[in-house]
Amino acid sequence: MVKKSGWLVKFLAAGLAAATLGLGLTAQAAEKPQDPKVFNIGAILAMSGKANWYGTVMSQGILQAVDEINAKGGVDGIKLKVSIGDNKSGSAQAGVDAMNRLIDIDHVQAVLTSFSPPTLAIAPIADQKKIFLINGGGVSQALIGASKYLFHNRSLASDLGRAAAAYAQAQGWKKMAMLSWNTDAGESVVNVVKPYWEKLGGTITASETMAVGAANIDTQIAKIKASNPDFVALWLFSPDPGLAMKRIRELGMKQPVLGIEYTADIQKIGGSYMEGYRYFSDYFTPSAANPWSEAFYNGYMKRYGVAPEFYAANYYEGVYVIADLIRRARAQGGDYWHGDKLAAALRANPAVDSVYGGKMVFQANGVAKKRVAMFVVENGKQKFIKYVDIK
Amino acid sequence: MSLFLQLFVNGLIGGAHYALLAVGFGLIFATTRIVHFAYGPIYTIAAYVAWVTAGPLHWPLPLAMLAAAMVAALLGVFSYQFLYRPIEERQGSTLVVLIASLGLFIVLENLTGIVFGTGGQTVAGFEGGIHFIGPVFFTTVNVWQIVSVLILVPVLAVFLRRARPGKAILAMTDNAEMARIVGIDTVKVSMLVFALGSAISAVPATLILLRDGANPSMGFLAVFIAFVAVVVGGIGSLRGAVAGGFALGMIESLGLWQIPTEWQNSISFVVLFLVVLLRPQGLFGAARR
Repeated sequence: MVKKSGWLVKFLAAGLAAATLGLGLTAQAAEKPQDPKVFNIGAILAMSGKANWYGTVMSQGILQAVDEINAKGGVDGIKLKVSIGDNKSGSAQAGVDAMNRLIDIDHVQAVLTSFSPPTLAIAPIADQKKIFLINGGGVSQALIGASKYLFHNRSLASDLGRAAAAYAQAQGWKKMAMLSWNTDAGESVVNVVKPYWEKLGGTITASETMAVGAANIDTQIAKIKASNPDFVALWLFSPDPGLAMKRIRELGMKQPVLGIEYTADIQKIGGSYMEGYRYFSDYFTPSAANPWSEAFYNGYMKRYGVAPEFYAANYYEGVYVIADLIRRARAQGGDYWHGDKLAAALRANPAVDSVYGGKMVFQANGVAKKRVAMFVVENGKQKFIKYVDIK
Repeated sequence: MSLFLQLFVNGLIGGAHYALLAVGFGLIFATTRIVHFAYGPIYTIAAYVAWVTAGPLHWPLPLAMLAAAMVAALLGVFSYQFLYRPIEERQGSTLVVLIASLGLFIVLENLTGIVFGTGGQTVAGFEGGIHFIGPVFFTTVNVWQIVSVLILVPVLAVFLRRARPGKAILAMTDNAEMARIVGIDTVKVSMLVFALGSAISAVPATLILLRDGANPSMGFLAVFIAFVAVVVGGIGSLRGAVAGGFALGMIESLGLWQIPTEWQNSISFVVLFLVVLLRPQGLFGAARR
């Protein structure tokens, strides 16, 4: 009996010890989060230079998101603070300078980046310092895999270009003439679309390039016309498709023109010549089915007096992605306020709420999978045609 | 052949634009020896003034161009009076003037963005006609670009040769020190060329506004091309500035006939290097007038 009771005591003691150890481990896992006073996040945008339109629009989306989140008490009660650096319309060196300032002076752990060259330039710094990057604007194929902390909530231009090429093939067009930016963004589309189009059985009759914001593209358009294509593809970004459309139509070309971007600035420059321009793009539009999209749209209209471009939506959304990841990382406790912890949280669950509606899912390559939409310009306005799944 | 003809016409049109830019810039540079980089943003501001007056204010185009020219002239005079002249009076070196000019360029370009917005602007409702001669196309604005050179250059040439202030400008261009000795007020002449040169820039600025629209950074390429055209044509030569502008326009257009268009921006540099190496005085450098 005594022996029995000894076994029982030992058994109970062992159970108690195991339970204590288990509780201890649990307590360690739920270690109190080491909160900063404020969550400093950064953005590297085109705040000056030829393409500063992007910086204006993107920063407006960011500031609205930060203000909204802070008005609701911040992220788990801690305010967000954003510092905006200037990549001078896509300069790699300016991007690196801005990144170093954001890390060394503002002590950011997450950065919203834009434009391909500066994003590629800061990617090694992000790897070294473990800074979470989210890109809502840069479209180069080269961005994929540039950093293990780099994610994209923007469809890459090459995907949009492939969607345009697939559409052209479905129309029975065979001969494509291309006009692209002579930058990484333009070249990356050409490098992907050219083999894709030739694989589909098409031919390239002309492949011309232009500088960003070039005033004189008459030679390029004359060469494109002389090549007699079935359609013209514009791998250009705002506002240059406007100038290109104007010149194409002025030169008497009647062929269909496909593109991958359309903005108010493009319409302003192209004017009535934009009629019939077909383009493939990320698509933001508010809908009653998605109250968040309506709240964003109305808030943006109230703050800035204009409807938000999808670039504003992407960067607005980017701030909310960061805020969501902060919450997830904080729930793990401990010293959570680090870029690598945010990236790990996203990889653990790649589905994040999207202002476009529903959830967007980040793929293994870091690019969020979104549907792209096809539009045509009619009476100076974009008209939605259909959603296209990129194959 | 039709492509060649089109490129030839494109070269003429581009050349006319460059020639006007070069005439305004060259007039200032040759007379004062100041590399007035702020000529670029002043050209930009002239385009925006034309936009405001012809667009929202609905002024007739000639009046809008006149307003743009007046504002540009004022800005040119202010640049000299309040920036370059004080530096000259303090015996500032050419390098100091150059740096001041670059500083003014940045300030004015950013001010333009702040005042007029960073996006592009076009004159709503304006659509010039499109014309075809055989396979070659051009627009009404293109015609105005060439006609403006055909009018402005001879008028300026007559002014420089016949009018008293024009002769003073030529005298100062030849030898500023000697001009001072013979009693020419070189400060007034400098102010005059800043006013004239800047006002001339308003013509291509207004026409490019009508053709492509205006944006805050359009001045960089303008002043760069103007500078290259003046060096190519020969500093101090009106004929040279015009010839330099047309040469650049032609080479830029016809050069891309067989060369891939990605080299477009390099062509001006290649021309500049060749001229500096082979004929440093420029095409018309020896014949100063």
